[in-house]
Amino acid sequence: MHRNRWFIALLIFGILGIGFADTAMAKRKKKKGPDGRALYKEYCKPCHMADSDNGEYTPMSYIQDQWTRFFDEQYEETHKDVLDPNHDNKPVTEAISDDQLQSIRDFAINAAADSEHPMTCG
Amino acid sequence: MLKKTILLLGVFSLGVALSGFAGQKYSHQEYFEHYEGTKTCLQCHEDEAKSFFHSQHYQWKAAAPNVVDSHGKELGKINMVNDFCTNPVPNWIEKTLNDKGKVLELGCSKCHAGRGMLPSSEMSQQQLENIDCLICHAHGYRRDLYKNEAGEFEWKPILWKNPEGMDSVAKRITKPTKVMCLRCHAGSGGGPNFKRGDIEYYLSEADYDFDIHMDVDGNDMNCIDCHAGADHKIPGPGADIAGNEMPEKRVLCDNEECHGNAPHEQALLNTHARRVFCTACHIPEFAKEDATNMKRDWSAGHYSEAKGKYTYTGTFEKNVTPAYHWWNGKDVNMQVAGEAVKTDAEGRIMVAVPVGSRQDPESRIFAFKKYEAVMPVLKDKRWILPIQTGDFYKTGDMDASVREATEEFYGIKDAQFDWMPTIHYMGLFHEVTPAYSALRCLDCHGPDTRLDWKALGYDKDPLGAILMAASH
Repeated sequence: MHRNRWFIALLIFGILGIGFADTAMAKRKKKKGPDGRALYKEYCKPCHMADSDNGEYTPMSYIQDQWTRFFDEQYEETHKDVLDPNHDNKPVTEAISDDQLQSIRDFAINAAADSEHPMTCG
Repeated sequence: MLKKTILLLGVFSLGVALSGFAGQKYSHQEYFEHYEGTKTCLQCHEDEAKSFFHSQHYQWKAAAPNVVDSHGKELGKINMVNDFCTNPVPNWIEKTLNDKGKVLELGCSKCHAGRGMLPSSEMSQQQLENIDCLICHAHGYRRDLYKNEAGEFEWKPILWKNPEGMDSVAKRITKPTKVMCLRCHAGSGGGPNFKRGDIEYYLSEADYDFDIHMDVDGNDMNCIDCHAGADHKIPGPGADIAGNEMPEKRVLCDNEECHGNAPHEQALLNTHARRVFCTACHIPEFAKEDATNMKRDWSAGHYSEAKGKYTYTGTFEKNVTPAYHWWNGKDVNMQVAGEAVKTDAEGRIMVAVPVGSRQDPESRIFAFKKYEAVMPVLKDKRWILPIQTGDFYKTGDMDASVREATEEFYGIKDAQFDWMPTIHYMGLFHEVTPAYSALRCLDCHGPDTRLDWKALGYDKDPLGAILMAASH
């Protein structure tokens, strides 16, 4: 009896023509972050931490177009003669592969001083 | 100039202009050479600064005509005690670090559109220069807490040591976009979506299923498209914000300029809309990206290894089913600071409880986030008390944190207090889903109903009663 009542209700709504599509929310694609942060810590931070003689640089040191300009125009010139003591004293430009450099570049630009991040008080 | 333009185009073409304003030329690019703080803005915008000074976004209080028993007072977070982070005055600006140097708290002023001074009721040049125009008007603006020459903390752009970058950002001026509003409104309560539940940072990249209004590939509406004010006054404070600086302008889905009062093709649904507000069906769930804080027990503090600090005991949930409550769309019972606590039938302090009932023809059923907390209350006067949250996060000494905050906020020393539960209904108006995702009839009128019919003033499901009668 109880089941019949709800079956009737379903029928009524069907007759009224109230059609509903699947209510499942389309799953949103999660952005997968590159490993640029880890690469930055491994390759960049050791020489560019706070109070470093080479200057402190974090992604927030520059805005996005400054980072773009740096990687496009200045990185090769300023780092080709710098040896990386943590990677067999290879020149930095050889120690960091092209793919790794791209990830570091993406990380710097995405976390640049003019990138948007939520502000929370805690 | 040519080089600069080429560089900007390069940046945008690489898709790194996250704000979605690729290729846009900003109005202020030619207006000044170097940004030197708010005084640069004041050269042309002193009148705007004066209007902003008086606004709720700066004063953090406003006339409260819809708060029951407000007695004409201006109310807002600055002079009330809420059950999230309690009150901003004792928690205004600070840099609380744990033993490992991790930042535990920077103070509520992080989301005040000022540079660090508390808002004053008296307008002065100092107060006008305290206004931080860029936090609401500049794309890509970020700031942090630094000590000034006097050794006091103040909010400064993180680019203050990078003049080229600073000038670039300071010239990217527009009316507030959703990204700018979400900088603060998505992070309130201590973390992403902790407080509101339906105002998440993800709204800045929402798709159609997440929010039909803000869908970036569709309507792509900004907050100010609905909350369009004047003279820096913003309408539509929701159901639990005490101050309302534009009470004459109500922001409702069924306003004539939006959906009207008969938006459905089916008459039955339009009939429903007379007593059921749009959000009840069209926001079937909230906190769809980031979990939201549903319960916060400040009396049950403990140390969290993961967070590296002492903290409250809290419950966080995602994809939450709303609570449903009658509301006349205007009035709300709120706990005013410095007055004995008012409780509901279950003995909970009514931090925010909407006014409305089945019997009131003006009331409709709205969707709410139902939030509960446990808060300190002064023993003799029964006033709800604030907490010095930064100190508590660092030391875990709740007694001292309550007493310190109480002395600063109320001027009462060595406060003796106990604990009481609170109830706080927060209106849900965002994360509106498409019609095909809205509630079906049986979501409410069925054996697995999501409604508490008795709490809404019915003996039982009214449709169930009709069907029962028909079957006999």
